[in-house]
Amino acid sequence: MSYKDYIKWDRMPSTWCPGCAIGTIFKSLAFTLEKMNVPREELVVVSGIGCSGRAAGYFDCDSVHTTHGRAIPVAEGIKRANPALTVIVFSGDGDLVGIGGNHFLHASRRDVNLAVICINNGIYGMTGGQMAPTTPLGEKTLTSPHGTLFFPLNIQAVATANPRHFYGRCSTYQINHLQKVLKEAIEWPGFAFVDVMAFCIENFGRRLGFKNGHEMLFKIKADFKMNPAPAGRLADNELGVVKHDGPDR
Amino acid sequence: MKRLILGNEAVALGALEAGMSFFAAYPITPASEIMHVLAEKENGIVFIHAEDEIASIHLVIGGSLAGRKAMTSTAGPGMSLKQEGIGLAQMMEVPLVVVNVMRVGPSTGMPTLPSQGDVLQAAHGSHGDYHPIVFYPSSVEECYRYTIEAFNAAEESRSPVVLLSDGFLSHLAETVDLDKTRVEVKPRTLAPLGQGRRHFTGLLAKDGIPRTKDPATYREWSARIKKKMSDAAANYRFHEYHKNDASDTLIIAYGITYRVVLPLRKQYSIFKPIRMFPLLEDEIRAAAAAHKKIIVVEMNDAQYAGKIQGLLKRDVLSLPILGGEINLREIREGLHEL
Repeated sequence: MSYKDYIKWDRMPSTWCPGCAIGTIFKSLAFTLEKMNVPREELVVVSGIGCSGRAAGYFDCDSVHTTHGRAIPVAEGIKRANPALTVIVFSGDGDLVGIGGNHFLHASRRDVNLAVICINNGIYGMTGGQMAPTTPLGEKTLTSPHGTLFFPLNIQAVATANPRHFYGRCSTYQINHLQKVLKEAIEWPGFAFVDVMAFCIENFGRRLGFKNGHEMLFKIKADFKMNPAPAGRLADNELGVVKHDGPDR
Repeated sequence: MKRLILGNEAVALGALEAGMSFFAAYPITPASEIMHVLAEKENGIVFIHAEDEIASIHLVIGGSLAGRKAMTSTAGPGMSLKQEGIGLAQMMEVPLVVVNVMRVGPSTGMPTLPSQGDVLQAAHGSHGDYHPIVFYPSSVEECYRYTIEAFNAAEESRSPVVLLSDGFLSHLAETVDLDKTRVEVKPRTLAPLGQGRRHFTGLLAKDGIPRTKDPATYREWSARIKKKMSDAAANYRFHEYHKNDASDTLIIAYGITYRVVLPLRKQYSIFKPIRMFPLLEDEIRAAAAAHKKIIVVEMNDAQYAGKIQGLLKRDVLSLPILGGEINLREIREGLHEL
């Protein structure tokens, strides 16, 4: 199948704003599926609520758009009921590690064979730009008008807390790396979490002084460096994969 | 073979008989024995002890979408948490069964004592309008029988069906011969995930495409769902009616309360709804027409009495049995005072 066959073109244009990062990640996943040649009948995409949550409906396969934060348990139910399916979760940071945080903790502990793709833009974009658990310290948002008072959640630390783990950090800029890591995550025989550095221009960037999505994309390019062989963990500004194929349960 | 089993065990065995092969739940008094029975490996089902109540209902939605008959069980506090998933299953039209073993609330309340305080929640717990099918057995044998029927109704209505129980019934041990309880098992109605192009969403959608700003689509959807539920419910008119020609009073009672008031059938007519919702409108109207006085005896503060009064549009008296204790003497005295 071509990457085009994984996309419902009759649903385009998407709901996403011009300059949004999600489209790049969405298309990168379609390219990855093409490379892996996943049959449509074996593929299920599950999402939660938020801008990224709308992606499930744009994939041309059976897909489930769940309630806020519940993409992981619905996906786990699907995978446990029919292990032959390739089940991919595609959702945002607020959804997966905010309201759905407990499911992230425990599905990773149970090491369910899922690939979870987290579009991490550091903000609640769909609802207008409120502070997320991933918003950097000191940033101004609608619910932190004087700057956030908290460090963002260390997703890597949570995702790698279990003996068996797979944590990939990618960016919207380095899409070859993104596609490589997505493939590896889908093939990983357990819980794989891919944290994709993304951005939201309309409901975050503009308040921070960015003129357009392009400027935010180049900020990501400038901020993050590739680390092809991280020793134990990635530094905060590094992209790469931390994984451990530990003892089977 | 005759066996002495608990109400909770009967629910678990009924689910297995119905072909359930996916179960996810979180431990809670007084529902946990359902989990304990189903955790046994020889059942050959997917069993998940979830991290919380919200996860368990969503796991069950996933399991059902992927092709398995699925169930979760809980009690009041967990039922409150599951409402989000129940609404999602209503919107996505996913067949599944939710068991709620009622205990005294609100909140943590009196965890080990029985109640019927979640009756209205079963019908209206999730936000928005929906019309769920709700069953409530009143014996261990009925726990088995109506669990199977709950799965049948879930398949036929393509929706989450609530099976109510209570802290008394769940731990009531009765001798039953389940081999003699024969209930036809309905097959799956939802094609499993892997068909290729379907989109299941909690948004208002038509043919898998969200229509979130179109009132006409909502009204069309609402009428279709209402008809679907009432058509399916019409095949499940479960109730019991003991008419006493010498009495001008009709007692309506359900679940464990029905068991306690049953000896009063020598003095009063007694009606027991087993399908609690949608209301058994015709049957209740017909029974009420022959009586001057209608009294609803229930372990909550007039929840079902209000529904019956709304249905009949005439005075309905309520005898609430509160605080987790129920006995015939108290009910008899209460009826005299009314």
